[in-house]
Amino acid sequence: MAEIVLENILNLVGFAVGLIIGIISAIGFRNTGSPTLFRLTLAFFSISAGFMIMWLGQTAATFTTQDVRWVQTIGIGAQTVGYFFIAFSHTIKSFFPKSRYLRSVGIVPLFLISFISIENIIRSFSFILLVYGAIETIMSYFESRRRTALFVAAGLGSLALGEFLGWYYFVFPQSILNVVSISVKIAGLLMLFVPVTKVPLTKIKFDGNF
Amino acid sequence: MSVYRTHMKIIGDILTTTRDDLPDEQGAPITYLIRKANISHGRISKILGTLVSQGLLEQTSSDGACKYKISNTGREFLQAYNTFNRFADNFGLTI
Repeated sequence: MAEIVLENILNLVGFAVGLIIGIISAIGFRNTGSPTLFRLTLAFFSISAGFMIMWLGQTAATFTTQDVRWVQTIGIGAQTVGYFFIAFSHTIKSFFPKSRYLRSVGIVPLFLISFISIENIIRSFSFILLVYGAIETIMSYFESRRRTALFVAAGLGSLALGEFLGWYYFVFPQSILNVVSISVKIAGLLMLFVPVTKVPLTKIKFDGNF
Repeated sequence: MSVYRTHMKIIGDILTTTRDDLPDEQGAPITYLIRKANISHGRISKILGTLVSQGLLEQTSSDGACKYKISNTGREFLQAYNTFNRFADNFGLTI
């Protein structure tokens, strides 16, 4: 029972945090036209949608006897796409900043996988993308010395740890790993929210001229 | 180590120069902007043309030479740029 409540909290916090960061990124993209902010918009809207789909799947599971596990799998997939866009933004910065050609072909279908144990496979992708994003954010901190970057790195790291523990839960299903995994993920999402509190929203002009 | 600047960062540098670092009130000549923004003549000409057409910079003629200064729209854009540059920086990214 506690697990279901925690999962509901996780999904709703994830939905809210992803949506708010996505909206701010979208405002930034409309005001500046920056492709980085566009990718962040896609990333966080996707993460937000993923958490909402998972919440819907979980809620549906309590009201129906049919197997609706596939809804949660779609939710995890949407989250992974979001994590991919975060990692992809770092990849562009790190590996091929000058080549327009490489940028244009950067989004190749990386997720051509079979339907067997698809949820575990997607979780492992999420884990790798989140760890990569956390490491790159820490590296950026050493350049900019901006403390909020540490919160983002810790947030991504916590989400990665949460994914890892969630995956391990399949090996030891009777343990408390799932509760720990969900709690760590909630903490990670709250840490991701810290940079949003530093944005002076009153100074942003909400028009569509740019 | 050389630091790669994005197109957006170069625009930010040019607008910041025309806002904070003008040699006189009529604006900055192109040679001044080339030196301050550290960019080639060919590239800055295209960027300045775009910024003027978008209304971010105002072009004035003085002593037969073109000078550039930031417009009110440019100031608003630069404010938004600085805000979201910090936001992206928090995620370890550059806009």
